[in-house]
Amino acid sequence: MSALRSTARPRLWPRFGSTLRSTAVTARLGRMVGIAFGICFVTGLLSHYQYGPWSWLPEPARPLWGYRVTQGLHVATGTAAIPLLLVKLWSVYPNLFRWPPIKSIKHGLERATVFLLVSSALVQLATGFFNVLNWYPWPWGFVLVHRFLAYVVIGSILLHIAVKLPDIKYGLSQKVADGDVLTEIPWSDNPEAHSNAGPLPPPKTPALSRRGLLAATGAGVGAVVVTSVGETVTPLAPIGLLAVRQSKEGPQRVPVNRTAMQANVVNRATSPSWQLQVTGPRPFTVGLAELEALAAHEAHLPITCVEGWSVGAQWRGLRLIDVVERAGGDANSRIRVVSLEPDGAYNQSMLEGPQVSHALLATHLNGERLDVDHGYPLRLISPNRAGVLNTKWLSRVEVR
Amino acid sequence: MLKWRIAIGTAGVALGLFGVYRLFTQVPLDNLFALARWLIGAVILHDLILSPLVVGAGWAISRVVPSPGRGFVQAGLIIAGLITVIAIPMIYREDTHPRSKAILQQDYSRNLAILLGIIAGVALLAYAARVARDRSHRSVGLSTNDDASS
Repeated sequence: MSALRSTARPRLWPRFGSTLRSTAVTARLGRMVGIAFGICFVTGLLSHYQYGPWSWLPEPARPLWGYRVTQGLHVATGTAAIPLLLVKLWSVYPNLFRWPPIKSIKHGLERATVFLLVSSALVQLATGFFNVLNWYPWPWGFVLVHRFLAYVVIGSILLHIAVKLPDIKYGLSQKVADGDVLTEIPWSDNPEAHSNAGPLPPPKTPALSRRGLLAATGAGVGAVVVTSVGETVTPLAPIGLLAVRQSKEGPQRVPVNRTAMQANVVNRATSPSWQLQVTGPRPFTVGLAELEALAAHEAHLPITCVEGWSVGAQWRGLRLIDVVERAGGDANSRIRVVSLEPDGAYNQSMLEGPQVSHALLATHLNGERLDVDHGYPLRLISPNRAGVLNTKWLSRVEVR
Repeated sequence: MLKWRIAIGTAGVALGLFGVYRLFTQVPLDNLFALARWLIGAVILHDLILSPLVVGAGWAISRVVPSPGRGFVQAGLIIAGLITVIAIPMIYREDTHPRSKAILQQDYSRNLAILLGIIAGVALLAYAARVARDRSHRSVGLSTNDDASS
């Protein structure tokens, strides 16, 4: 029966003879891909929480590098997962050519979920990477789709693990060199398969060994990580040949995500009649001269973009809590900061809980008056806070 | 194991359905069609274009490159290929943003060339080291063979 099945397939049908492919290799690559997607999923959820925390569990202000680490990890791991996933898919490519294509309803269902897994994982990684490049060649809103497609990806990975668990156990229990050869004919249908042929010496790999394949994969992924992660692990910036951002190239050695020109605020931000309005039980306004006089508090805080770059910087300004207390609020107040920027999803942001006490209304960056692209005359900078929520070009602070 | 498989599989189905449900309730229909095109397009691009090219290249290398150096060529090309996949979109998008964003301001074609040069150099050195080692082993190996046959 099994012999019949393999002879019944079309005469012209791809044959995969490479002894490099093995369940033992695939299980190891799959484990790495699974870990990578797990890290991305958890750090991704943490990132979404930044944008919409529950009132009873506001974002903490400590550790102040918290978001820098989790989001740096998210983007670095997601980038590394691209080459990793490609090698993993290479290792199981023969499975695409199993004959017959669909044996049973159960088999058809399994193949459909594998299709969903492969397609959603590829799209998730590619669109995530393109977002890091600020490139959006699609019509949908990135954040929403990236967020909910993540559940589809992680769900189909878990389902895939459940379906393949016996193979995973077999693959991981074998030494890499000893495992069966993975071809387009499943070993259970193939009496000549290495796995069925009894105790034999390991399959011969004529050139590159399986261990060499895994080492080359590790080297490729490692090279991608080491040359790209300098945009957030700043000591590696000098070898950042594939780094998307270079902090030192930005004004005042900090990159910008939205320029004053893009935000359409250049005239209003540089107007000498600029005033900060503070609303609350005791409302007041602050002009430019008084602002400069009050800006005496220094802090070293990282700024971290959701797109994975981050850099530590020296900030000077007013403590937000001092402004809040002058307006009649306290550390438990809810604060809304509003930008001069006329529209845009991030022309305002909310602060609650610990961040109210730790945030700075910054006037200076790395020893200089803020560049207009960094939010002149006044911007928010808070520890452990997504970059885009550190609202720039402030015009109003509302104490509630 | 069955218990584990059922638990993991159920969790997976639940998470996946949650994602699909949220996509269908929150994303406009025309965007969902675009997403579907991307999902199908990604599989076509990978399974019917990229993978056959890679498999074909592997087959060609096994025919063309002689055995002692082939492993080094394969390893070098795997590393080079994985890096190139990441570099291509960056090359395509370099210099598309204002300077102050400090994004994609590098010459990524040059950077990729540097990386590929390093990979080629290391692969060549590793191959040379292997050849040298084999040669010294062979001179030792001959005498042990003589011992075994005598």
